[in-house]
Amino acid sequence: MIAAYLFLAPGFALFALVILYPITRAFQISLYHWAIAPGLPSEFIGFGNYTKALHDPVFWRGLVNSGFYMAFTVPTQIVIGLVIAVLLDAHLPARTFFRTLFYLPVVTSWVVVSLLFRYLFITEGGLFNWFLNDATHVTGHNIDWLGQRWTAMVAVGILGVWKGVGWSMIIFLAALQGVPRELKEAAAVDGAKAWARFRAVSLPAIRPVVAFVTILLVMGGFNVFISVYLMTQGGPQNATQVLLTWMYLQAFSFLDFGYGSAISFMLTLIVFALSLVQLRLFRRPSDST
Amino acid sequence: MRLSRMLVVFVLGTIVAVTAATAGARINGAQKTTTITFWNAYSSDGPEVKRLDKVIIPQFQKTHPGIVVKDVPIPYDSLHQKLVTGIAGGQLPDLVRSDIIWVPELANLGVLEPLDKTLPDFKKLAATTFAGPLATNYWKGHYYGLPLDTNTRTWNYSTTALAAAGLSGPPKTFAELKTDAAIAKAKGVYLYAEGGTSGWNLLPWIWSAGGSLTNSTYTKASGYLNSPKSVAGIQMLVDLYKAGEMPNIILGGTGGLGTYDGITQGKYVSTLDGPWMFAILGGTVKLAGTTIPAGPGGSVSVVGGEDIVMTKTSKNKAAAAEFTRFMLSPWAQNQMARAGQMTVLKNLTKQLVKIHPYYSVYLKQIATARPRTPTPKWPQIDQVLQTEIPKAFKGDETVQQALDSAAKQIDALL
Repeated sequence: MIAAYLFLAPGFALFALVILYPITRAFQISLYHWAIAPGLPSEFIGFGNYTKALHDPVFWRGLVNSGFYMAFTVPTQIVIGLVIAVLLDAHLPARTFFRTLFYLPVVTSWVVVSLLFRYLFITEGGLFNWFLNDATHVTGHNIDWLGQRWTAMVAVGILGVWKGVGWSMIIFLAALQGVPRELKEAAAVDGAKAWARFRAVSLPAIRPVVAFVTILLVMGGFNVFISVYLMTQGGPQNATQVLLTWMYLQAFSFLDFGYGSAISFMLTLIVFALSLVQLRLFRRPSDST
Repeated sequence: MRLSRMLVVFVLGTIVAVTAATAGARINGAQKTTTITFWNAYSSDGPEVKRLDKVIIPQFQKTHPGIVVKDVPIPYDSLHQKLVTGIAGGQLPDLVRSDIIWVPELANLGVLEPLDKTLPDFKKLAATTFAGPLATNYWKGHYYGLPLDTNTRTWNYSTTALAAAGLSGPPKTFAELKTDAAIAKAKGVYLYAEGGTSGWNLLPWIWSAGGSLTNSTYTKASGYLNSPKSVAGIQMLVDLYKAGEMPNIILGGTGGLGTYDGITQGKYVSTLDGPWMFAILGGTVKLAGTTIPAGPGGSVSVVGGEDIVMTKTSKNKAAAAEFTRFMLSPWAQNQMARAGQMTVLKNLTKQLVKIHPYYSVYLKQIATARPRTPTPKWPQIDQVLQTEIPKAFKGDETVQQALDSAAKQIDALL
């Protein structure tokens, strides 16, 4: 028994140091008018920062924007990732090449690609407007992508999907390769076509992996920060603030670390609650017995 | 045989190493080195960082043996965050070149050394500098720094784009601005581009219109920011914007064509900016500068610039004070003026125009320029301006409504 705890100890110590301690500390800070300079007294205000958030229209807008980003990027990444994974699971020529190609955006730097996408979405001379207006005349005018709330959120979402789809693809591909070949062959012998085989054999087999990918993507979606910060800076007029950019502004521009911590703590609670709901939803009927 | 040769090599090597180490220790003992760290946001786009690293610091180290200056240039947009992190972690440098608008905030946090108490020759040093920039170091009874460079915004224009717009000269008054903007629009260019609605962007128009942001003691915005004169200043820009005579980058979106790019491409004629614009764009565009078009309140611009401040946590205050004095010396100020930094020394202004002719308009403009509200809450005030005023440009509210709302929020901050 003691030996088991001893084996757990190093991992738990690391978890406590880099996860538990910061969370506890953030919660503590969120209860104060926090003075950032060491040695200065901080005023205890209880849940004052939380009440402030509930009455702050930008907090709610940030929550909706974070939710929109999550709703835009998660299903798209799952569907596109799965489609590419299925294609790459088949015996295509140059499979390794395509696998690398689709995975490449995942390993690029967020900062570099965020700035790159900002240029792609520039109103005059950006690649997207060139394609939609000048080349194909679909829109008939240049869209002010980053100057309006929803178009800017879509632009940030497109970056999120482009950068993230390779990750879900590689996990799905690994899972698909683990589906027993005999099952697929048996289904084929029974006359099942490709779609039926995928729906009835492959998909149920990779269900736990779909759950894993979904939960992680939802967490990541709510934690969107770098792309928004670099592409729109939360603007114009706070229209594209997400929870983390609003938190960052409060803490690092306005030095209100108490309020910033309250926002981040509320985000933690939201993500935690969503993860619990998803775990329950993805549980198989047989798991509950 | 082989072993004994290795032994000889080892012994000789040890002797050499020990001798070198002892000699090194003797040198260090004779000349103890003090290192001071200097955080700043000198621009590496222009010649500023190069001038500091290659000319000024080497000269200081030559004349002050035993002091090493570690220059840490940080991009302007990151410096504030870096300072905040440094404060929280107790890891600040000895000296900071701080934007003038951060000094009250930093002083209020208790991390700055009151230089009027620390430097015995503070009064003498302060007396050599302009009163306006010096005042930006004052917070609750003490001076927490000394001015390092000053600047203001003037009406800077591309002479090529001006001619292309069919205009013979820059606008001198609000009335000329309105007429010229329409002429330029007919030629397919924007006469004036402004990159946002912060205080830095719009205060020149409010002041030139005869309005103000707050009362003179900086305690109230209602009745000032939303006064008829302030409203008229913003209304003029809103009218230009609605007539399609100003680009939409004033709304603060990041997707538009920036002022520098627009001027370089000949799509914008003018913007308001500091002397660094000449250092950065001078090589690519034919630039000229003049004072901001005058309104009922005159031609009034906004003061910018940086102060040099010493941190309380500095362990090398004497050396840091020496470098501060050096940076305020006529020689160092002259050197930085060559890199586009306007001097704060009263006696050096005559030389400025010899260094770069474009300084003459800045010297004229700065005579009437005013500072932004000196308060630790300035970042929040600026955020209010950037959130509320665009509503008037977009037509969601009238200028009066937008400024009423902004004034009310700023009252709460003051």
